[in-house]
Amino acid sequence: MSGASVANIEPTAAPSGSFVRGPALSVWTILKWAIAFCAVIVAVFPIWWMVNVVFAHPGEPVSINPRLYPTSLTAGFEKIRMILAETDYLRAYYVSLAYSLLTIAGVLLIGSMAAFEFALFEFPGKRLMFAVVMVSLMVPTAVTIVPTYLLTAKLGWLNTMQGLVVPGLASAFGLFMLIQFMRTLPREMLEAARLDGATHFQLYLHFALPLSRNALVTLAILTFMRTWGNFAWPLIVAPNPEMYTVGQVVGLFNSPYSHQTVDVVMTANLLAALPPLIFFLIFQRKIVEGIAMSGSKG
Amino acid sequence: MAQLDIVHVSKAFGETEVLRDVNLQISSGEFVVFVGPSGCGKSTLLRVISGLEEIGRGEIRLDGQLINDVDPAKRGVAMVFQSYALYPHMTAFDNMGFSLKLAHSPKPTLREKVAAAAGILRLEKLLERRPGALSGGQKQRVAIGRAIVREPKVFLFDEPLSNLDAELRVQMRAELAQLHDRLGTTMIYVTHDQVEAMTLADTMVVMNSGVVQQCGRPLNIYEDPDNMFVAGFIGSPRMNLLKAVVVSRTPDSVTVDGPGPGRLTLPFRGFPREDGLVSLGVRPQRIGLLGAQEGVIANRIELSATLTFAEELGDVTYLHCDLSSGERLVLRSLDGHYAGGKRLTAVADAASILLFDESGRRIRPAT
Repeated sequence: MSGASVANIEPTAAPSGSFVRGPALSVWTILKWAIAFCAVIVAVFPIWWMVNVVFAHPGEPVSINPRLYPTSLTAGFEKIRMILAETDYLRAYYVSLAYSLLTIAGVLLIGSMAAFEFALFEFPGKRLMFAVVMVSLMVPTAVTIVPTYLLTAKLGWLNTMQGLVVPGLASAFGLFMLIQFMRTLPREMLEAARLDGATHFQLYLHFALPLSRNALVTLAILTFMRTWGNFAWPLIVAPNPEMYTVGQVVGLFNSPYSHQTVDVVMTANLLAALPPLIFFLIFQRKIVEGIAMSGSKG
Repeated sequence: MAQLDIVHVSKAFGETEVLRDVNLQISSGEFVVFVGPSGCGKSTLLRVISGLEEIGRGEIRLDGQLINDVDPAKRGVAMVFQSYALYPHMTAFDNMGFSLKLAHSPKPTLREKVAAAAGILRLEKLLERRPGALSGGQKQRVAIGRAIVREPKVFLFDEPLSNLDAELRVQMRAELAQLHDRLGTTMIYVTHDQVEAMTLADTMVVMNSGVVQQCGRPLNIYEDPDNMFVAGFIGSPRMNLLKAVVVSRTPDSVTVDGPGPGRLTLPFRGFPREDGLVSLGVRPQRIGLLGAQEGVIANRIELSATLTFAEELGDVTYLHCDLSSGERLVLRSLDGHYAGGKRLTAVADAASILLFDESGRRIRPAT
């Protein structure tokens, strides 16, 4: 039925589709979907190719008769087992996870406390301090990386977890995002809590934190993505193989003198890409909601 | 139950003075309503009492104790906000019990007090809901419940009914009056709605530009306003205020020129001046149409006017007219429907006319 009604509609006769109920099939609609489909292929194909190469016998996907789908699950799991058993991949997982989670905890704690003060209270020097924070947001990482390294080295924190984590604890972007969000929290609610007898810290704990949950989740995910994928800083500050993060280990697999075949390298890549992928799939709604809400009403 | 004294309180935001030398004595158990146009300082005064706004100058005493510098939570006041200000992430129960939780009250006490407040406000079945699942009226009841649980000496209401629709507002107004009868606690209520003020108040405080214009029982203020602002602000439609010039006086009367053609002689014992400008104030409800069956008026004055538009409300019609002086006169026609012509003659009892001097102050007869 819908096919018949669609066929009756001249593509040019429906100016904006506003008078037509149901799907209006115009040239523009087809073009739009075609472009979207191409974009999806570009984004998804590398990941799919990675899965394809891992779960196949060596060489098969790139043979004269290539396959675009996994052919051997056992071969894939065997490669995963081999990498986990024969390399220090699990240790790297642990280091990366600790690095990411500690950074998230720190960024959320410091960011939310600072944003609470900046967004909801007046204090001397507030504008100046906020300006300094915003300026720091505009300085590229490449400029700060050398002085930060020197400072970390002076503190004796090379090849330590605190050396990895502490320099990334204060995030100007995170602070900015949380301030924007907390500015939208209703003042009267804050005043009601004050009348209810809440202390300054209780206002933060019972009022600002729970009401900013969406923004905090968004910031946590963005921070996870950033730290998990951070390559340069761990490379500089923790050159000891015991402190290698997943990124660095994957880098070793890919290095020019590595004797690994493509499928083993791809397995290492897949293992590295898995946590952020899972994180994103679980929280993608929250990410979009959080980013959309960070400027508007809570 | 508490006596609240506000002594010489002033407050300024930068250069702008929002409260000027406010003096009020609020007796224990009284329902006091601050009323005035927006920006008159009524909400600021309430916030100063609550402690959310710092006091500029002056003193606030609760039961004789100075509370100027006492923390808002420890003043013994509870406030209900216009926007309800409920915590959206907590249930109605948690909202109401939040202050007790912060004060580390034992759980049985907390449950008992919340249950008692919920019983008063008929909220028992809604306690597990979050604010998002409550209607406007229910939210406001939870907000009032949150205040009741704290067992304050003084309740403060900041335009609590403004966000509700008209029907619900009438219902909540009645509930608030009953609540006051039941609790017997001192309540201070801020509104810009004079109907709310007139119906709820034991004592009404009319404010304008940060100054208390008049304070007293609602009907006394309506009948006997101290100045032109109060006369105009209280009563709907507002009081007619017409300019006139004093031409002569006797011990028992005063004769003025204007607003209509001819002179008017008004009964007035001991008018203080021989000449000068005055304003005549007469409520639309005290003016009728010539010829209408409104009983015999002993000492009537007549004014001819031109009708500009008729406000037909069903039970009553208000006629908006222009006088020959160009001033506007509103009068009440007792019939729901006005069938007369463009030209009409308004009739008022001369005894019901109030006089104000050039600065707007009321001129009262000698007693």
